Amino acid sequence: MSAVSGSYNLGIPNAISNSVSGVPGTARPACSGMPVLVLVLVSIWILATPAAAVDWSVPEQQLARKIVAVTGSGPMALQFENRSSIGRRDSEIIENGLHSTLETMGVRFSEAEHASSSVTITLSENLTSYVWVAQITKPGAETAVAMVSIPRPAWTGSALDSVPLSLRKTLLWSQVSPILDVAVLEENATPTRIAVLDPEKISVYRSQNGRWLEEQSAGIVHANSWPRDLRGRLVAARDHLEAYLPGIVCHSGGSLNLSCNETDDPWPLLAAGLSGNAPVFASVGSSGVASSGIAPEQAFFSSARNFFNGTLTPAIRNVSPGKFYSAAAIAHDKSVLWLFAGVDGQVHFFDGGPERIVHLSWGSDVTSVRTSCGAGWQVLADRAGDDVSDSLRAYEFPDRDPVAVSAPVDFPGPISALWTEARGDTTVAVAKNTETGSYEAYRVAVACNQ
Amino acid sequence: MTFRRKLLAVFSLTVFLSVAGVALLVLTVTRNAFEKTENERTAALVAQFQREFNRRGEDVARRVESIAASDAVTRMATALSGTPADSAEYFDLARTLAESYQLDFLELLDGHGIIISSAQSPAKFGYPDNAFDSLAGLTEQSAFLKLEDLQDSTALGLFAVRAVRSGDHPVYVIGGRRLDKNFLASLDLPPDMRALLYQNRGEHFSPEWLLDAGSGTSRPAEKLSGLVDAVRRYDQEMTGIVNWSGDQADQEVFHAIPLRGVGKDRPLLAILLIGNSRRQYVELKRRIRDAALLAGGGGIVLAILLSSWAAARVTRPVEQLAYAAQDVAAGNWNSSVEVSGHDEVAQLAESFNRMTTELLAQKERLVQAERVAAWRELARRLAHELKNPLFPLQLTVENLIRARTQSPELFDEIFQESSRTLLAEISNLKGIIGRFSEFSKMPQPQIQRVEVNEVVSRVVQLFQAQLKAPGRSAIACKVELDPSVEPIGADSELLHRAISNLVLNAMDAMPNGGTLTLGTRRDDRKVTITVSDTGTGLTREECARIFTPYYTSKQHGTGLGLAIVQSVVSDHGGRISVQSEPGRGTTFVIELPNNMEALRAALSNAERNATETPDIRRNVAAQSASVDRR
Amino acid sequence: MKHIAWQWLAISSVLIAALAASAETRPQYGGTLHVSMLDAPLSLDPADRATPDSFGRRSLTELIFETLVSVDKSGRATPVLADSWQTRGGRRWQFRIRHNVWFHDGSPLTAESVAASLRFANPAWNVTADRDSVIVESDLAEQNLLADLALSRNAIAKRDSDKLSGTGPFHIVDWQPGKELALGAEENCWRGRPFLDGIEIEMGRGFHDQMTALQLGKADLIEVAPEQTRRVSQQGQVLVSSAPMELLALVFGQDGSSPDEKSLREALGWSVERGSMRDVLLQGTGQATGSILPGWMSGYGFVFPTTADLARARSLRDQTHVSANWKLGYDGSDPMNRLLAERISLNARDAGLSLQPTSGGNADLRLMRIPLASTDPWSALQIALAEIGLPPMESKGHSIEDLYAAETAVLATGRVIPLFHLPVSYASVSNLKNWSLRPDGSWNLGDAWLESARP
Repeated sequence: MSAVSGSYNLGIPNAISNSVSGVPGTARPACSGMPVLVLVLVSIWILATPAAAVDWSVPEQQLARKIVAVTGSGPMALQFENRSSIGRRDSEIIENGLHSTLETMGVRFSEAEHASSSVTITLSENLTSYVWVAQITKPGAETAVAMVSIPRPAWTGSALDSVPLSLRKTLLWSQVSPILDVAVLEENATPTRIAVLDPEKISVYRSQNGRWLEEQSAGIVHANSWPRDLRGRLVAARDHLEAYLPGIVCHSGGSLNLSCNETDDPWPLLAAGLSGNAPVFASVGSSGVASSGIAPEQAFFSSARNFFNGTLTPAIRNVSPGKFYSAAAIAHDKSVLWLFAGVDGQVHFFDGGPERIVHLSWGSDVTSVRTSCGAGWQVLADRAGDDVSDSLRAYEFPDRDPVAVSAPVDFPGPISALWTEARGDTTVAVAKNTETGSYEAYRVAVACNQ
Repeated sequence: MTFRRKLLAVFSLTVFLSVAGVALLVLTVTRNAFEKTENERTAALVAQFQREFNRRGEDVARRVESIAASDAVTRMATALSGTPADSAEYFDLARTLAESYQLDFLELLDGHGIIISSAQSPAKFGYPDNAFDSLAGLTEQSAFLKLEDLQDSTALGLFAVRAVRSGDHPVYVIGGRRLDKNFLASLDLPPDMRALLYQNRGEHFSPEWLLDAGSGTSRPAEKLSGLVDAVRRYDQEMTGIVNWSGDQADQEVFHAIPLRGVGKDRPLLAILLIGNSRRQYVELKRRIRDAALLAGGGGIVLAILLSSWAAARVTRPVEQLAYAAQDVAAGNWNSSVEVSGHDEVAQLAESFNRMTTELLAQKERLVQAERVAAWRELARRLAHELKNPLFPLQLTVENLIRARTQSPELFDEIFQESSRTLLAEISNLKGIIGRFSEFSKMPQPQIQRVEVNEVVSRVVQLFQAQLKAPGRSAIACKVELDPSVEPIGADSELLHRAISNLVLNAMDAMPNGGTLTLGTRRDDRKVTITVSDTGTGLTREECARIFTPYYTSKQHGTGLGLAIVQSVVSDHGGRISVQSEPGRGTTFVIELPNNMEALRAALSNAERNATETPDIRRNVAAQSASVDRR
Repeated sequence: MKHIAWQWLAISSVLIAALAASAETRPQYGGTLHVSMLDAPLSLDPADRATPDSFGRRSLTELIFETLVSVDKSGRATPVLADSWQTRGGRRWQFRIRHNVWFHDGSPLTAESVAASLRFANPAWNVTADRDSVIVESDLAEQNLLADLALSRNAIAKRDSDKLSGTGPFHIVDWQPGKELALGAEENCWRGRPFLDGIEIEMGRGFHDQMTALQLGKADLIEVAPEQTRRVSQQGQVLVSSAPMELLALVFGQDGSSPDEKSLREALGWSVERGSMRDVLLQGTGQATGSILPGWMSGYGFVFPTTADLARARSLRDQTHVSANWKLGYDGSDPMNRLLAERISLNARDAGLSLQPTSGGNADLRLMRIPLASTDPWSALQIALAEIGLPPMESKGHSIEDLYAAETAVLATGRVIPLFHLPVSYASVSNLKNWSLRPDGSWNLGDAWLESARP
């Protein structure tokens, strides 16, 4: 955290830079500091530690001192009320702490009828702070009010969660700024090295002792403004990363030396693994699956919008999807079934015959995975719906029509990116958590046995 | 007044009286009939109004009933019968219901009289309704009047209460319509009728509590105070007529109906004033009166025209007869009248014509006889006159002849003497013939402006010497001139001669002296000249014949003097008469008209001629000016 | 077990396929949004002091203009046109201006243009441009400066004669003051072109008219009166409400001159039954309050009593030797104000006080709605005081106790009796996606999109 009191943001040369520590749950920077040094220290301390382990003793002592200054050491009737978002456990800790602190200051507690003063302590809060208020009533005097404030932690991140369903989602990364795509570079049962594409940079994080540390970061240089609903794709090749953004394609050298070009080069439409090509980073390992017969297809993305403009390369015979948001392909009885989530809200099917347009309650993100479960190929599609939550579901095509083969797996907000990982059997889904406002990237895998 | 006018007047009076009588009768009868109808109409209208008012009350009750039975209220009642009852969401219900059921007031009360929702005072939810105790028992009744407390005022309304029971606690629906200008205006009233509402507040009448549906009526409300106060005092329905202005048509009959509220003492909340304008009635009455007057007047005029036509038709023959008779009287015996029809007037006309024909024939015969007699008289007179000189002529001539033969020496002397005698007698004969000739040549009078007094004075002056001439008995002359006698149109020469003749005549009548009196007198548009003597007088016969030419009572008269006088007077349009008594004297009276028309005619003739002769014109102008001055 | 699951999945998939819902989670470009609002501002200039502050005006401002910083839901300043900043000593602030930002007229955003805009809005501040930074020196305490810069009135505008230019997602296409505003998508917006092609805003429409327009499909986004929010949400319409940040209060025109007058005012404060007014008139919306700042902003709002105490009110009145005969003014354009005024008057009558509600101009006290300008309590309180007509408060420090002391001092003047904090609520058609409210209660339509629109 910055040692410059009162500064918030970065970038001015003489401001000390705040290194973003990538631990989910603590990544969000703190709010503006308070002038009182103690409070600043408290806030720094709070931000650096989980909420459950907050030491409330400093504000307890402050409040106790203020109360005693009014009541003196006569018998006191003490009441507690918690109106804040502080949990029950914490509130009990605070209550006990205040109780004992007051006792150490010589206060005796008694029933209301025998007390010379009556104190009600209310744990409250405002946007930035917890506010503890003591209302002190002495017979024959106006009610006195004493209070202290303690900066609130911005938010408490959710723990890694696994859902033992047919679709299993695993949180990979969370940050405040938008995540366009995440690529897992190395893993050992769980991912240990990831690359995160956001609108301004590609960052590579490595997990050490349960904490994520930024390893490298390279900015994406772009002359024009991004479209408002920015989409991007991060492809991990054997020895480098490729980032596709509207109108920009960036290639990293071996040490993430990023070179970005303004170009309308087509984006890879499918994961390498789906077309049988081996992924690249040696550590990821080969999927070992045979070629699927699906060509490594590419498509042109509109440079100022949030959709593909409909042109595929190489062109596929009898497949002309029009503008679309996302696409999926599955091998199907020696032929390939292409699905496109069109900007018209329909799903467009191409399986060699004439185009079929089906109105499904799917969202705009579809992708396909090649697994060892079920028919071997599944399409994952999100749900059409509100802005508050979203879900993913797996579908198969036993016949021509999709049949749901999994229960939906919920996401805390709308899914903004859905790309199949290089290996082809898992996907990365990015959702914006509507509660916290932060972006969360999940790996979604299809589990065979429920 | 002429016969025609009399007849016309009689006709007109008769028609006028009849028409006026009928009009009066019609007016009286119609007024009474209208009065009765008007009263009946007013009573009917008041009854209609009361029905309308009651209908509104029933309408309010019906609406309140509908509200009580509505789903919304039933749901609310059911919801509120449960626990916990949260009435907050129904706070706006009354307003919505009042709008959809078109009520001005609507309150939903719970079983304890606490307002759940109020349309008129939405902010009063949760407060108790003050009048709840008296209203709770009226749930089966029809509409009633109630004063409703509003934010900063009170309003009068027609209310109904219904209860909705769901569970133990009823919900009361109190709805009403405001008795205000709009309510009054919405009542279906005949055109001349209006309803006013006096809200009974305060001790004394105050115009601010009077609601009038009509807009812009600036009539002083104080005029209703008497009626309102009377109703308040006697507490019963009353009727009164209010004069809004001096015009009868502005009168309005008001029926005042006291309106009472509910409760123990049923307070007098308001007085309903149903006004019925008498304008229509008064105007109808006026129209009938005007029509009657017009018809009467027209009838009278028509009657007069008809009467005059009829009178003219009836009187024309009579008038013709009268005119003809006047003609006859004026000497025009030739006149006759037209005879038409066979009625009495026609017979009269026929008789008249016959009479004039007879008279004319008789006159012809008379004239003929008189002419013969005159010629005889003339012949006798001529013979007599001529015989007198002829006799000396004969004697002289015989004397000459004798002298020639008997005494030629004396012949010369005798001849000369006889010549003188002959000449004298011949001169005498010429004189006689000259007088006859003069009479036959009597000139037409030249009308001029003549001062009669002056003419008389000139005559008197002329004869002054002869009256006192020696050798005869003196005659005294008296002149009595009326100074007010105005100039007349006459020929002064002829007038002078006529008066002179009368004076000569008078002198002849007074051989032994006496008194001659001349006088003038103004008499209306005439001038009277009198010449009186105190001579021998005339007998009645003499008087009758005295103006006949060649008649004379004197030994040596030609008998033409008075005939000339009469001729002159007659030519002037005048009249001469004689009054005499033998031995006492004679008075001749000449009456001359002033002859102004003739004078003007003469002057205008002269003026026309004067354009040729300036001198004459000047003269005529002077005369004209003097005529105009008269 | 597995067999049953498959059957269930098959049935559900058929059901899903049969549903004719059409929606995508990815935003679509295009379409014109029709918005109705009650306010009818006569000027779009964010710094125009003649136009009163309102949520509607803030919304308009933030469609066209942007501030240097904004305040997020947690009350933290986040960068907008300034991409970083720092302060030394609290009174001198340096903001680095974001690059590659253009005004709608095509000119670049520079430190000079920002400084000029801030100087225009705050003549008392000392604002200078230094290369790519703007340096602000003001008497405001350091915390307040960021909150103040986040106020829409401090949005950066380029004022060329009569033409206004901003950097926001929409530019002005047509502006009929107080009536209509047509906005077009700004292609070169540094945050990216907005999804909507345009926004047409109709102003001066009453709440009822707005609801009718929404139901008839003539408006896509409307304001909802606080008392209507419960009904609207029960009817299943999309309803979004801000935190309660509109203060409804009784404000006296002048300070209480005598102790008697102060007692009477206190009696009035005790007579008002906020609870039933909130439950019934406001249909449960909003929060009863005894303080100017809402509890969620200050943290201590509950300390100020909100329940009526008629006995206390009567005893206070009985202690005085004068009688209260006040005129209570309210803005008649909203029927709710009249109801509230009448209810307050009834309550006052119960305490023996005479309060005559009037919508006319001449009043002893007014029922005022004060939109709190900021989520920052100091800034919000300071601006609310200015709205009420009270002098700015002077505080020794900036602790929570100082804030409490300052607010208590304001309430002690007897000028203001806070009644409620009301949220500002909006309803939208269901195909308007991804719109939200900013913490200051204004709409954020930069990221909104219309589902039916096709790119």
